[in-house]
Amino acid sequence: MSELSTALANLEEERVRILVQQRVNGGNEPLSIVNELRQGMDIVGERYKSKEYFLSELIISGEIFKEAMALVEPLLKAGKRGEPLGRMVLGTVKGDIHNIGKDIVATLLTAAGFEVYDLGVDVPPSKFIEKLMETNASILGMSGLLTPAFESMKETVKAVAEAGLRHGIKVIIGGGIVTEAVGRYVGADAFTDDAAEGVEICKKFVGALN
Amino acid sequence: MTEDNLISRLARVQAAITLGTSDRTPVSLMMDYKFPCRHKGITQGEHFRNQTRGFHALLEVFDELGGWDIVFTDTMTTQIRNILEAPMVIKVPGKDIPEDDVIQWEETEVIQEEDYNKIIELGWKKFIADFYPRFRGWGNAEYRRRVEQRAGLEYTHIKAFNKQWEQKGIPILGSAGPFSPLMMLSCSRSMTNFMLDIHRIPDKVKAVMDAMVSDIIDVTIQSVKCSVIEPPMGIPAALIVLERGGCGYFPVKVFERFELPYLKQMVEAFVAEGITPILHFDHDWTLNLPYLKELPRGKCIAQFDSTTDIFKAKETLRDHICIMGDVSASLLSLGTPIEVEDYCKKLIDVTGEDGGFILGVGCSVPVDAKFENLRAMVNTAKTYRVH
Repeated sequence: MSELSTALANLEEERVRILVQQRVNGGNEPLSIVNELRQGMDIVGERYKSKEYFLSELIISGEIFKEAMALVEPLLKAGKRGEPLGRMVLGTVKGDIHNIGKDIVATLLTAAGFEVYDLGVDVPPSKFIEKLMETNASILGMSGLLTPAFESMKETVKAVAEAGLRHGIKVIIGGGIVTEAVGRYVGADAFTDDAAEGVEICKKFVGALN
Repeated sequence: MTEDNLISRLARVQAAITLGTSDRTPVSLMMDYKFPCRHKGITQGEHFRNQTRGFHALLEVFDELGGWDIVFTDTMTTQIRNILEAPMVIKVPGKDIPEDDVIQWEETEVIQEEDYNKIIELGWKKFIADFYPRFRGWGNAEYRRRVEQRAGLEYTHIKAFNKQWEQKGIPILGSAGPFSPLMMLSCSRSMTNFMLDIHRIPDKVKAVMDAMVSDIIDVTIQSVKCSVIEPPMGIPAALIVLERGGCGYFPVKVFERFELPYLKQMVEAFVAEGITPILHFDHDWTLNLPYLKELPRGKCIAQFDSTTDIFKAKETLRDHICIMGDVSASLLSLGTPIEVEDYCKKLIDVTGEDGGFILGVGCSVPVDAKFENLRAMVNTAKTYRVH
């Protein structure tokens, strides 16, 4: 485990910034810096799973990752970016403006190597479909915190099927009140009320896990 | 079984709060205007233009469901609400969002990090008096004129609504709804910023909370007293809004430093004034349950929303705190009456064993709950294990 990965895993914000800056100044390969950061995020995920870390540590690590990536981004743009682990279209569904859960998932998925197309909140089915077609993403993620969101999620899944896109796309829903019954009602492939678990499910979707 | 009237209903609820038993498990739906308006074909926006319509819809739905044992009424004026609830951007149906959408709160950074010093210097109440006119885009005089003008009408409404419940023989949990300092800052700084604050500047956050809590306590007590709800009309209560201090968000060590001390101060001050604290625990508090034994015994209601393990709560808090909950929003809106009945029976059997339990909904009744599910919940309480 590198010093940078360890610093991120321990949520040492200033240390991470200094180490990334040193690597950038030293002409390190940007993708190797990103990999070190991702290894740190993996440790955070493990600590979360073992209940050593909680949601706050997940979020703080995500913010430190974003700050570090801001230093690496200019180099990535100039050079190779690497193939993402998977592509996901994500949004909070129509009639619901809650953004927190969605934003956490977007940050963690990005940190895990996914390309996330975040459509924001109050997203109608047509916008999801438009983006799925444009990006060829294989995962559709829908978030909601209110019970009326269930109907919007269901409408979106139906519209995706009617657009002929359902085959080949995995649908995951998330939010504080989603349950297995909600997943069945909506016609989703998976559900979660836990952002870290959502990342694991998406990794399974793209075959990155056994 | 005792005949249902104001006195018997109140006795049933009071027995539960003091950890005793009665003829049956009391039931309370904690229903506001949202479901009744939708059920009666009144848009959510219409309620905001004319609150009397929403209240009458609630009365009608209450009767159609056969009634429950105690109603929760919000007795705060706007002036009080601005101090006790987190400042946030509110999206009002028919104004900021479509006419029949439910009211929502947008999570943005309303209070800035530099405001922390002002809160430490001024205290929460004075800070809010300075902050809200800016936040609303009005001058100080205009802000005062608006909230003071509105307060008269609001108290008239509160008293008229309470009177109608009294006439129906239904006791009231009449309540202000203060946020805990942690919940207040998390919502108004936005959750991510607040978590970073706790990580980066914990001592400053602690100083801010120290400066907030006495004002929150004083204004809550003042608000509950103004609502003039006394036995036998009801139970003066303060619903403490708690969500983000539990293990669903933070490690227990953060709870120990930034939530528990203030929760204890609030609860002890309210109990000393004869006010029943309702601890409104949204999200997961399972790991925090043992700490609730530090609160006064037989004086509070702990309300869970189905995310916390309510059966574990009973095991931990048996003989210490009355538990209320936890029929979930998802079950009420997507489940069947049989599923609701089965779950309510399980709650009555396990969580209601030896008393100290009020059958309730998780958080509040969702706008699109099925009427027959609500009826199943009320009927189960009234017919199952009745003595």
